[in-house]
Amino acid sequence: MSRHQTETISGLLDGELKGFRRWTTERHVNRCPICAVEYRRQRHVRRMLQANPSPVQMTDSAEFFWSKVKAEIRHRGVKRHQTPGLLPVWLRHHPFAATGGVIVAAAVFSAVLWMRAPEPLSHPAAAAPTTSAKVERVKTAIPHTTATPLSSDSSQVTVIWVSGLPWTPNMNAMKTEFANLDT
Amino acid sequence: MRVLLALLLVGLAFNTQAASIEARLVRGSNDTKAVDSKLQDLEPKLKKQFGYEYYQQLGVQKARLQENKTRRLNLGEGFVLFVTPKSIVEKVHELDLEWTSGRASLVKTTVRIPEGDYLFIKGPAVADDWILLVVTVHGS
Repeated sequence: MSRHQTETISGLLDGELKGFRRWTTERHVNRCPICAVEYRRQRHVRRMLQANPSPVQMTDSAEFFWSKVKAEIRHRGVKRHQTPGLLPVWLRHHPFAATGGVIVAAAVFSAVLWMRAPEPLSHPAAAAPTTSAKVERVKTAIPHTTATPLSSDSSQVTVIWVSGLPWTPNMNAMKTEFANLDT
Repeated sequence: MRVLLALLLVGLAFNTQAASIEARLVRGSNDTKAVDSKLQDLEPKLKKQFGYEYYQQLGVQKARLQENKTRRLNLGEGFVLFVTPKSIVEKVHELDLEWTSGRASLVKTTVRIPEGDYLFIKGPAVADDWILLVVTVHGS
């Protein structure tokens, strides 16, 4: 090892280097003051990280978190991912078949229309007006908070989702929190 | 003639005040302690929207609606709903709603809500639970 390579020192500390490479790196670190400092610095950082592992920053319990995820998915609706079928791939390899297929289909469709006796068109009844609630405006004055009207699959229910409100561990803490939160 | 006019006025006044608003403060939870028979009618709808197993009614208030008159509904636990009816067209009520807690205005909205329909507002989270507001307008 002739150059000062921090990645190699990092590899040495992580135990990734083996054999001859390990021996040359150790030798270089022992002789090079710059790499020796880098070695000590990285070792110090590793020891500090091992001594003080960062706690998982999650204010919600796992159950609560998943209930939120499930509710969000339900509100957004499940988007189905469609994989391409066999036909488009086949058509890619047979470009003239597509044109021919369209012509044949149009001819068959025209023939069917011509052969059918004319029938009075039935007019479907006008769709009933939707009667569910409509959110005209919605806003929240609390910083970092958003209020979103969500469409519901139930015709009788409309939902406004206020997210970002401060979390509290109990009702008393919540009262205190909002009593001191001036909007 | 005067009697007829008086009756007409009384009838008109009664008609304008016929609709009423009902606001419920609800706690959604997965804790069996939150089972509440008062919400039996609403529970399937709440479960569908919010996913919790159990719902507990923390407070309920009803008030008659009068156009452009703001009503204050104290729902308990420091939550207050201010309701100002703006108009009514074919049993669809336009309402200004402001949901507050303490000094904080949680949400302010203008909605058009048909009689019998529900407006759910998902509010703050307390421990693993959510505080919800359920608003509905009843006709005469």
